[in-house]
Amino acid sequence: MDSELLKGTLSLLILSLLSRKPMYGYEIAATVHRDTDGAFTWREGSLYPNLHKLQADGLIAGEWEEKDTGRKRRYYHITQKGRRALREKLKSWKELCQGVKRILERTDGQA
Amino acid sequence: MDKLELYLDQVCRGIAGPRSLRQHVRQELREHLLDAVAVHRAAGLTEEQAIAKALDDFGGPEEVRGELETFHGHRLLTTVVDKSLEWKEKTMKARWLWTTMAHLSLAALIVLDGFFIVWSMIFLVPSYIKVHEDGLLEAANADVQPYVDRADELLMALVPVANNLATYWFLWAFLLIVVWGLFEWRVHSENKSLMRLSALGLAALVLTVSVGLTGISLLVPYAVALPTLYGQSPEPIVRDDTAAIATALEGLEKSVAARDWKASELDLSDAWSAVRDLAGRGAAAPALLSRAEQPKIDQIRAALQSASHSMIDIQNAILAKDPDRVSATLKTFRDAYQTAVAEP
Repeated sequence: MDSELLKGTLSLLILSLLSRKPMYGYEIAATVHRDTDGAFTWREGSLYPNLHKLQADGLIAGEWEEKDTGRKRRYYHITQKGRRALREKLKSWKELCQGVKRILERTDGQA
Repeated sequence: MDKLELYLDQVCRGIAGPRSLRQHVRQELREHLLDAVAVHRAAGLTEEQAIAKALDDFGGPEEVRGELETFHGHRLLTTVVDKSLEWKEKTMKARWLWTTMAHLSLAALIVLDGFFIVWSMIFLVPSYIKVHEDGLLEAANADVQPYVDRADELLMALVPVANNLATYWFLWAFLLIVVWGLFEWRVHSENKSLMRLSALGLAALVLTVSVGLTGISLLVPYAVALPTLYGQSPEPIVRDDTAAIATALEGLEKSVAARDWKASELDLSDAWSAVRDLAGRGAAAPALLSRAEQPKIDQIRAALQSASHSMIDIQNAILAKDPDRVSATLKTFRDAYQTAVAEP
């Protein structure tokens, strides 16, 4: 899948995944990879600027947690503001999908 | 894992903001990469392959860095360093030229420093030590005396070191040659050129600092104590001034008598210069006072100033080529001058 298309939807994906449960960066990337059967090819490094921006906007919050192994992980969870933003983004996404779908269906026969 | 840390350096070092922020971001990215490496290792890749795959999936350092800096901002210093390195890479095509120039410049600096040290040890320091031993290094202002003393102590501490270097220079030179020979013979590092340049740079820095300290410690006591030195023995200087004035005035009178106006202008110039010097010397008045035994220094200074001003009238008379006027203005000058320098 085009990574530019994915880039525009990354914040929606992050909010959606964090609405399931708190996750750390690698877990988010691994879940996207698993749930899409590897269809999304993207730079995993792009995840962090997005996470930091969402956190700065107050849509998610991050906390360091130390594991028994001594490793530290930064877990992110969605905030109330984030949930409201997610609902709005999902609504916009559905509208976009329907619009794009209608155009593509009409174009499909001519292509 | 060095490769991984190097990657994190490239990505995180340009992030603006406090150091703790960079550390947090770096820690977070490191944990991601370590997780990815562990997964790839579990899938059967070697350590090296797993790191390479994890870094590849994460993205090129420039791209990730760019994205992080778009959000967090970038550090100015890192930009400057990166631009400098970029410039160095571009201009290092003629590497041998730069390296040779750097070596020669440092060698030239070391030689110049060495010459200065030897020269000052032969010519400057002995005369300084004599003045020091005579106890003449006293500041006119007591407040600055501690600075004179400190500079003096510094020089006195440097002198034995410099003397040692100068006396046993052949031993030091021999040791240097041995160390250099061992370095060239035994060291096979790829950074050999850099090490050589660093050693030269260090030597040049140490010598330059020594030269600077020697220069300052020689200059400060002299500069600060000079008025005191002069104040302690002004009479010979004042005597020379008065003799010069007398000679010039005598010449002036002869030139005017001979109607030699050009010569008279030159004589006037000599006399004027000597009178100006005398009027400007702080210690002149006390010295003249001791000769004339007159009560007030201010009177002598005023008389000298008046004599100096009357030189303008003499000049005008000479320019007008009027001998009578020259004689009259000369008399005015003499009156004022005699008031100042009258013998007891």
